[in-house]
Amino acid sequence: MRFQGIRFRMLLAAITPVFLVVLALMAVFWTTRVSDLDSAHTTRARLIVQQLARASEYGLFSGNAASLQAIANGLKTEPDVRSIAIFNGNGQVLAKAGETRYAELPEAMGANYIARQKRLGVDVFWERVWPSNVALDDFYSGPTQGLNSNVLGYVVLEVSRDRLDQSGQETLLVALGIGLVGLMLGGWLASRLGEGVIGPVMRVSRAIERIGEGDLNPSSEALPSDPLFDLQTRLNQMAQRLAWGREELEYRVEVATRELRLKKEEAESATLAKSRFLAAASHDLRQPTHALGMFVARLGQLPLDISARQVVDSLEASVSSMQDLLDGLLDVSRLDAGAVQVHRTEAPLDKLFQAVHKALIPLASSKGLRLRIRPTQEWFLSDPVLLQRVVMNLANNAVRYTEQGTVLVACRVIDGGSSLRIDVADSGIGISPEHQQEIFREFYQVGNSGRDRTQGLGLGLNIVERTVKLLGHSISLRSDLGCGTRFSIVLPRALPQEFSAPAPLTLSAQGGELEGMRILIVEDDGFALEALQSLLQSWGCVVNAAANVQQALDFVNAYPAPDLVLSDFRLGEDRNGMDVIDMVRAHSRRPIAACLMSGDTDANLLHAAKARNLTLLHKPVRPAKLRSLMRRLAISNASDAEASTQELVAGR
Amino acid sequence: MGLRAIHFIVGWVLSISVFAQVQAADLVIVSSEKTAGHVETAQTVALEFTRAYPERAQPSITYLSDSRLQEAELLQGARVVMTLGSDALASVLALDVRIPVVASLIPRAGMERILREAPSKSQASVSAVYLDQPFSRQVELMRLALPNTRRVGVLFGSESSQQSPTLQSALQLKGMELVSGYIGGSGTLFSALKAVLDDTDVLLAVPDSKVYNGSTISNVLLATYRARVPVIAFSPAYVRAGALMSLHSTPRQIGIQAFAIAKTHLTGNTGISLQYPTDFTVVLNEQVARSLDLVLDERSLTERLKRSERRP
Repeated sequence: MRFQGIRFRMLLAAITPVFLVVLALMAVFWTTRVSDLDSAHTTRARLIVQQLARASEYGLFSGNAASLQAIANGLKTEPDVRSIAIFNGNGQVLAKAGETRYAELPEAMGANYIARQKRLGVDVFWERVWPSNVALDDFYSGPTQGLNSNVLGYVVLEVSRDRLDQSGQETLLVALGIGLVGLMLGGWLASRLGEGVIGPVMRVSRAIERIGEGDLNPSSEALPSDPLFDLQTRLNQMAQRLAWGREELEYRVEVATRELRLKKEEAESATLAKSRFLAAASHDLRQPTHALGMFVARLGQLPLDISARQVVDSLEASVSSMQDLLDGLLDVSRLDAGAVQVHRTEAPLDKLFQAVHKALIPLASSKGLRLRIRPTQEWFLSDPVLLQRVVMNLANNAVRYTEQGTVLVACRVIDGGSSLRIDVADSGIGISPEHQQEIFREFYQVGNSGRDRTQGLGLGLNIVERTVKLLGHSISLRSDLGCGTRFSIVLPRALPQEFSAPAPLTLSAQGGELEGMRILIVEDDGFALEALQSLLQSWGCVVNAAANVQQALDFVNAYPAPDLVLSDFRLGEDRNGMDVIDMVRAHSRRPIAACLMSGDTDANLLHAAKARNLTLLHKPVRPAKLRSLMRRLAISNASDAEASTQELVAGR
Repeated sequence: MGLRAIHFIVGWVLSISVFAQVQAADLVIVSSEKTAGHVETAQTVALEFTRAYPERAQPSITYLSDSRLQEAELLQGARVVMTLGSDALASVLALDVRIPVVASLIPRAGMERILREAPSKSQASVSAVYLDQPFSRQVELMRLALPNTRRVGVLFGSESSQQSPTLQSALQLKGMELVSGYIGGSGTLFSALKAVLDDTDVLLAVPDSKVYNGSTISNVLLATYRARVPVIAFSPAYVRAGALMSLHSTPRQIGIQAFAIAKTHLTGNTGISLQYPTDFTVVLNEQVARSLDLVLDERSLTERLKRSERRP
């Protein structure tokens, strides 16, 4: 369609001159032809009338009407002749042929009659008939002066113009026909000519269209005879250059992409290295921290004066802080390693809330905060342990960063009953919007660029976010400066079920339960071995401390079977802690309670420990925890029950 | 120097005038027109004059169509005036001419009319060579050429009608009959012609401008041809236009005869001489003769006619 305009213009430009020329030729042809016909007609009529006059001369001279009539009749047969009349010198009619419309000679010769007849399509010609003059210029004839030869008579001829007009019309038709043929021919030629111009333009246009669509292959349509061949050639060259340019661009992009990928890989490997470093560093830190914890606990049990007690308390706080850090790192690395297993189950939310309340109420009370846990009857579908850690973490943060007011933990049903939303809200200082995305990053703390250890390590929210993501829930934050903060976790709701609360692990806190408990310690690290031995002995346990597998076997052989085996996982030999436990159990032929300690966060280790029904303690093991575990194991032993299957993965 | 030049010029002019005086023409020729026939006649006369009087001045020739006639110039020193044509004679006679006049190229009827109408004071003696042929000669020609001719048709106009009795008598001498028609009055030329052509053997044309002129001649000849009547005319032009034959004298023949008369006047003879042409020519239209189934020869006719005139 877009070529219709140009095609039409081309046609117009080509056909207009043709049309004008044809028109002019037609006009010239027609007018010339008609004028020729008219002139021929008039000439012929004059010739006829002159011949008539000449032929009538003798008839008039001799007054021979019959011969004149014969002449008139003869001429009447000529085409177009309407009437012929011959008059003598006195105006009397001597001969007449055809129908005359005039009565008398003077009328026929009058200009009015001639004009009137001309309007009617009849030409009237008249002629005087003179006697033919013979030159007799000799003296024999005598004087001739004063001799006026008389008019012999008159002839009047009327000629019809009908045939002339018909010829004119026929000529017009012929002219029109020729003109039409000329126009058609001219039009055909013009359109051919136009196509000759349009065709190349269209080819160029197609080529441009193809280039526009991204096809940069050179067009094969161009012919050397094409008027726009140069243009097409250049267009092809342009397309070629574009293609080259595109290839070059693609090459550059590829190079840049490769470089970027390289950079990314570098960055990833750097991250990996960082993770490894972090894992290695935390692992290597665990052992001494583990020992330190044990030593400090042992130190705390010693009678000390007040100033020394203060130092020991501060030492305990520092060690605890260090242990928190290592626990956080442990969690992060476990999440990184994908070592955390999700055990989705339906559980009552209120139980989780109570646990949180119980854990945080001392801290809240000490800060003068109101900790409100709104009781609920709802059940949820999630991993209760992981979810509790998340909620606990959030509530712990809330209590820690709120100076006054209330910390609220509540739940509400949303999404038409399909989901629950757990809100942890506080009336603290709030988080400004620009920090709200950052707070989930590792080691990020709002307003703690000085990294005050009492304000935590900045790993909590990162762990929360990762855990929520792992659970498949969503967490959102709503806060502003001075308006408090509210974290919301959306999780699936479950229908309440018959719930038989397992017997709570009510561990009696009497200290005498560990008295005389025989414990075999296997630990390749000397400090840790000594610290643990010293601590356990301070709790009244009978401790056999083995630095390697052989010593452990020696102890088993030399002494009665221990009540509990505490073994490090890595012992610096072929055999590890699990092998030692297996050997001790095999030796004493009963499933001795055993506990595995490790600084590793290897998922395989977790699985292996679980498969052997072993309790796995991550270093640094806190003395309080160790003690509570030992108590539980002692009770189990006392009741001859099976070893507890509960794995205390939650390491706090 | 200046004086000598003036003397020279004056002398030259005087010598010319004296010469002109001495060389004044004895013969003055006045011609009505300057047609080929008039010029030939005049030149013939001049040639004859020069042959006769080689020592004398050439005749002066004046054409009336060129200039008005001036009496003083024309006649100064002249001894004879020759006129060619009717107008020339009339013009000369209008002057006070006291020397002999020789008229030529003029029909007898015209001559007689001019003399009748001339001013009475004219004292000139007029001799003439007529243009027309004597009827006897024409009748003889008819007898020679068309021996079976009995009835001769003649058309007369007002000018020529007086000649009718003369012609009739000439015809009767040879045993022929005149059938005459008159033009003028109410009758048309054709009606007269038709009347004459009925039952005649030959039409004899007599010079009369009312009857025969350039406008009529072709129709007249056409009518005679249709009637199959031969025409004996008086001019070679008529033969060219379709007449059978013409009996006439050529300009040269007339010029010679006219000079002969003038010469008698120059030699002192004062008598008047009125003559028909003595020499003549017969011209035949052979085409017409063939058309009319006539076998004629113009040379032998001329010879026989001349012989018949010499015989008596």
